[in-house]
Amino acid sequence: MFSYYLKLAYLSCKRTWGMTLLMVCAIGLGIGASMTTITVNYLMSANPIPQKSEQLFFVQMDSWEPNNPYSDDGDAPEQVTYRDGTYLWQAQKAKRQSIQTGMSAVIEPADKEVLPFMVQGRANSADFFPMFDVPFLYGSGWDHQADLKKERVIVINAELNERLFGGKDSTGQTVRMAGEDYKVTGVIDRWNPKPKFYDISTGAFNAVEEVFVPFSLITEQKFSRSGNTNCWKPSESGFQAFLDSECIWLQLWVELPTEQDKQDYLSFMNAYAKEQHQYGRFARTDNNKLRDVMQWLENQQVVSDDASMMMAMSLMFLLVCLLNTVGLLLAKFLGKASEIGVRQALGASRNDLFIQHLIESGCIGLAGGLLGLVLAILGLEAIKVMYGDWIRDLAQLDLSLVAMAIGLAIVSALLAGLYPTWRACQVQPSVQLKSQ
Amino acid sequence: MLTMNKISKSFITDDVATHALRDIQLHVNEGDFVSVTGPSGSGKTTFLNIAGLLETSTSGEYLLDGEDIAKLNDSGRSRMRNQKIGFIFQSFNLIPDLNLFDNVDVPLRYRGLNTAERRKRIEHHLDQVGLASRMKHLPSQLSGGQQQRVAIARALATSPRFLLADEPTGNLDSQMAQSVMSLLEDINKAGTTILMVTHDPSLAARATRQIYIKDGHVSELTNKNSNLHVVGEA
Amino acid sequence: MLELLARLELGLIFRALMRNKIGALLIALQIALTLTIMVNAIFMMQERSQQMARPSGLDETNTFYLSNTIFAQNYNTQTALQQDLQRIRQTPGVVAVTQINAIPLSGGGWSMGLQTKPGDDLEGTGTAVYMVDEHGIEALGVELIAGENFQSSDIVWREVGSTKWPPKTIITKALAEAMFEGDWKKALGKTVYIDNHQPVQITGIINGLQAPWNGWNGVERSMLVPQQLDGKGSRYFIRTEAGRRDELMPVIEKMLADSDRGRIIRNVTSMQQTRDESYQEHQATNTILLTVIIVLTLITGFGIVGLAMFSINRRTRQIGTRRALGASQWQVMRYFMLENLLISFAGVILGAAGAVGLNIWLVATFSMSPLSPVLLVIGVVALLIVGQLAVSYPALVASKISPATATRGRA
Repeated sequence: MFSYYLKLAYLSCKRTWGMTLLMVCAIGLGIGASMTTITVNYLMSANPIPQKSEQLFFVQMDSWEPNNPYSDDGDAPEQVTYRDGTYLWQAQKAKRQSIQTGMSAVIEPADKEVLPFMVQGRANSADFFPMFDVPFLYGSGWDHQADLKKERVIVINAELNERLFGGKDSTGQTVRMAGEDYKVTGVIDRWNPKPKFYDISTGAFNAVEEVFVPFSLITEQKFSRSGNTNCWKPSESGFQAFLDSECIWLQLWVELPTEQDKQDYLSFMNAYAKEQHQYGRFARTDNNKLRDVMQWLENQQVVSDDASMMMAMSLMFLLVCLLNTVGLLLAKFLGKASEIGVRQALGASRNDLFIQHLIESGCIGLAGGLLGLVLAILGLEAIKVMYGDWIRDLAQLDLSLVAMAIGLAIVSALLAGLYPTWRACQVQPSVQLKSQ
Repeated sequence: MLTMNKISKSFITDDVATHALRDIQLHVNEGDFVSVTGPSGSGKTTFLNIAGLLETSTSGEYLLDGEDIAKLNDSGRSRMRNQKIGFIFQSFNLIPDLNLFDNVDVPLRYRGLNTAERRKRIEHHLDQVGLASRMKHLPSQLSGGQQQRVAIARALATSPRFLLADEPTGNLDSQMAQSVMSLLEDINKAGTTILMVTHDPSLAARATRQIYIKDGHVSELTNKNSNLHVVGEA
Repeated sequence: MLELLARLELGLIFRALMRNKIGALLIALQIALTLTIMVNAIFMMQERSQQMARPSGLDETNTFYLSNTIFAQNYNTQTALQQDLQRIRQTPGVVAVTQINAIPLSGGGWSMGLQTKPGDDLEGTGTAVYMVDEHGIEALGVELIAGENFQSSDIVWREVGSTKWPPKTIITKALAEAMFEGDWKKALGKTVYIDNHQPVQITGIINGLQAPWNGWNGVERSMLVPQQLDGKGSRYFIRTEAGRRDELMPVIEKMLADSDRGRIIRNVTSMQQTRDESYQEHQATNTILLTVIIVLTLITGFGIVGLAMFSINRRTRQIGTRRALGASQWQVMRYFMLENLLISFAGVILGAAGAVGLNIWLVATFSMSPLSPVLLVIGVVALLIVGQLAVSYPALVASKISPATATRGRA
């Protein structure tokens, strides 16, 4: 019977092809627009490290100005000072802790024919790699001792390894950077978390760094720092004065496997703040925060306003398209009233008619969904062209999104078809058979 | 075959009740060819719709082939229409999108028959009305008389025991009307009970029984055969 | 008036509509939602366009910049910097060059707070800081409207990590107005305090120069300070003679790169490109919004056409009868036009409420500004016109129905 209904749906659509085309286009455009924006929103709000996002916490210490809270809503600052950051890191109270900041330096390739070039990097402590499940192609990160001893070691990414060592296992080799030799301990495999949760201070969707060096080397002043630096209290000139200042410029992450660990760590942070309060720092001693990955990304609103606004708009757009479809389907089905009457006389029950018309709606929905899918792919391409490189990985349809698009289309069309179908089944056969 | 007991039908529109049928008593035997005549608006069509289970009566009892219609739900009534009743309409009511084959196929689909059986029946019945060669044509490509013959083939495809015809010759010229009428007579002779609404006295006269409806009341005109009596309550 | 209404058969149309409530309701709802989306989308586009239209104060068409990163050890950065600037200045076609710490609209830079009184607990006025030399004003192409430019004797070296500020500054009109009760003229010659305590005298005022952050609400507030950065990374900002920018960009890049192998010249970028990148998202969002508006209007329009065609098909006989009874073609057409107008009216009234509602939500959620009523009126009128245009074709078809249809039945 199903194939019979399919045939009937085909014949019916063929007869009113203009209306059918309009409905398919309306659903297609609505689905296309919605899927484009849903995709971007979905990927923007994705969990970049689902296996342990609930165990990784971003540390916020409120060392800010006594009279002016850091943010309007009173939340603690988004970074920590060197004093507080290194104290918490050295205390090693969490299972793992990573203190970090952005950096950049010039690499001079061994081959003198190749021009020196600039790389974006990260100065971080040893726990960074195991904590964030960083995948290694060769070797590994460094150990805590290397941090303490300020060893010249480096982890590079696969692209840089390709460029410097032709893609071979380069562990043990040296890289000349900022005028010194660094020993390669590991090469990172392709790793591109979106959002780049471990540091969103200069953009949540930037590319992962090319090099990683021990955090303690930052005090050697060999390479330049990158990222945001915010200060509220004047300080003396010079680098040591900067390290001792109230300027915030470091990110600190801790890994705390259990709720108890988290509570303990928070108490530890608050105790430290109280102690500092006695020296005239930390005007607000209990405004320290531990947020896990998703809470942190939520708090920082990594899903851009534009993206959520567009999604709201496109869902309303879909609604208009569906209203359009309801109207056209209603017109179409009521236009078939006499056929419906005949079918009833010939033995079709209301159930039969309901299924027949629902299948017809479903077919239109499916066609609309497929069109919508094509439009969504085009829409995402357009978004990549218009918004530039950073959005590339956020405009990618995956299988679940494709399934969602088709599902959304069919559900939409069935919903849109429900009322017209119900109306069609209410046709009084006796009235229709006598008409004309 | 068909028994109506105190069947009444009234419509309520804008708070005014209109009585289309009042306390109809009727019994039709297997093999009868009953013609129904009466002036416009007398309730002929309502009577036929109730007989054909397209409408339900407001009150009264209706037994078709021994089954009490009041006890059936929509799908039960649909099954009855499909298996026991065939319809022929004044305006043919072929489905314009479907070719002749598919039109005759409609009731068979709802009957749930397999493909081979359906094909056999469709070809047989179209052949019977002389249109087997035009199976792939659309209704719009046929004359009125041909369309009505397709409609008859469609009505007969499910081998109903009971045929309802509503002015089957109303849209046809007299020559075609004659040929459709003789087709109906042949069908009746083969054993199918027929109930035919018409306004043409000469056609009505060709039926084995004639009943007359006026103001919602039924009366039997003559009683050619001694078959059975209808009591129109005056 | 009543007579006119009677002549237009409005009552008749209304009663006919009431018999097909759902169909009319669906169109009205579509129009309402379309208006809601359309008005808010246009409003968002306007806001962005206004932001993009703000002048940066720079001579954007003839300026570019580059980054100079030194990697060689034992390098005399001060001498090298002066040499570089000298070389660039001597290049034919270059109007002026300055070393600078940050680029307007680029997204990255320095900011400080300025106070009219010294003290720790005072709220300062935030401003972007540009460190330039005495050629800064000419190189940027900004307009000095009061006071005077820096002298070469004013320029001091700033070591990495230094927190000392020179005694003079030139500020933008907007910054002056923010600090001196809206009267920028008062600012000239005044002493203000940077980093809570360090006094700085305002020796000049420029008409405008935007900060590096285009989304900051203080984007018009900037200050120039007479400093040259002594470090391993620096930026040069160059202004060329009109029309020679693109020709000079590679020339200067090559000249600098070849002159000294101990550094990298990178990021050679025109101000034009910086502006385009800075507003890329705005531009893209506007394009999308425009597409949405157009497609939405088309969908609603075609929806009206489709439903009207259908309703006319169903009423062929009735229309034929009216024609037979003496209705002119124009009267038939008018009937459908008026019918659409009635439905559209209901739609736009609902839509106007929806537009205001959506705007209230957007204001609350995305800190947008409230909608202008003029825009709402324009949207209402536009949609009424779209409705009339859409229905005019089906109405025309209806008016062509022959009076003979009444007697012959359906064609």
